[in-house]
Amino acid sequence: MERSSEQQMEESREIPEPSVTTLEQLMVRYQQADEIATRSLIQQLSPQLYRFFAAQLGNSGEASDMLQDTWLRIHRVRHTYRAGEPLIPWVYAIARRVRVDSYRKRRRIAMREFVVDVLPEPASAKDEPADLPPFDQLIAPLPASQREVLTMLKVNGLSMEEVARATSSSVGSVKQKAHRAYERLRGLLQSPRARKGAAT
Amino acid sequence: MIRREMTNPEIDELIDSQPAPALPADRLKQIETAVTADLKPVRPLAPDSAYLAGLLGIFLIACIAGCFIGPHGWHVLSGLQKVTVLVPLAATTALVAFSVVRQMRPAAKHARSSALVSAGVFVVLLLIMMVVFQPAQESAFLRHGLACFRTGMVFAIPAAFFLALLLLRGAPLSPLLTGATAGGFAGLVGLTVLEIHCPILNVYHIIFWHVSVTLACIVAGIVFSSVTFWRWPSNR
Repeated sequence: MERSSEQQMEESREIPEPSVTTLEQLMVRYQQADEIATRSLIQQLSPQLYRFFAAQLGNSGEASDMLQDTWLRIHRVRHTYRAGEPLIPWVYAIARRVRVDSYRKRRRIAMREFVVDVLPEPASAKDEPADLPPFDQLIAPLPASQREVLTMLKVNGLSMEEVARATSSSVGSVKQKAHRAYERLRGLLQSPRARKGAAT
Repeated sequence: MIRREMTNPEIDELIDSQPAPALPADRLKQIETAVTADLKPVRPLAPDSAYLAGLLGIFLIACIAGCFIGPHGWHVLSGLQKVTVLVPLAATTALVAFSVVRQMRPAAKHARSSALVSAGVFVVLLLIMMVVFQPAQESAFLRHGLACFRTGMVFAIPAAFFLALLLLRGAPLSPLLTGATAGGFAGLVGLTVLEIHCPILNVYHIIFWHVSVTLACIVAGIVFSSVTFWRWPSNR
């Protein structure tokens, strides 16, 4: 049985179209307390923010905690977003602040804790992995700033300009960090086993 | 055997081949519930120009008040000294104010670069002061100096207070930079008032006592910001 055109119109009115509405428009509606836009924004941004945290931490539990912290902070400072400005750098600037705060908090806690059991030794740089290591382990030997830039560029797909704004630095500085990160990764991937893993 | 180095596209391909970690659905639901539970319309932050006007107001009020307590310095400064000292001083203050306003919004352009440029202009200002002012005999270097320092702080502290009130609605992300620039702004207000008010033209007096107002405010700003940053409305 064919549906009437009225029914079809009704359905199209009910279904939100996130692909048509840009993130910036959703953010403006979020500022105006539009619940559908807020949910849509959370659903669209959360997976990539989660990848941003998970790629640098390698711990999914902490990554989801940080994601929640990020959204709570975004909620508190949502009035500081200005319509017409790009949203992604604004979100990532807050996300990286949450990551820094969380790192400091963990370090403070770790300083107060006593080791009561023998912990497994972390993999040293000399140990050659049996297969290609996951991304978070692959970039672990890189300095934090290079790791962050590489994650934003390659995992989250931000542009150089967006990374520069999110990290309060210049495009030149981002390019330099990315270049150095690639150089370092190239060196790390030179190990025969890693190469073998890459080939498989 | 020569081993071929991986090219950038090969590294990109390798990164792309990594499986994306899946976000737990229950956590996403939890976030949505937490955020939408407290959903109220918010008024976006006022334009930068409004905040800059506020900071300009603070600066001008302080300068006018400086004239009221006695513009002795203004009368003894030569035309060259007025131009070469007060113009870079105003430029540094404007750049610092611009940086402070930019820091109120995450990912705003030129927040850090304008702070760095203002630091450069301030160093140039110090060099100019060393050239345009001469060493002179000063009988009560410490007593006069402490009086100047106190006067500078009397103007800098209220400026810092009003600046903090303006900043309360923003969301600064770097406690160090925000503390240094906000303290710098208050210190520059104090320094400007001293240049208008103080009649002593001894270069050592100016470099040591007048400039120390700005430096003390920068240090105080960093300390204050580091302590209070976690209690700031945007970070609580």
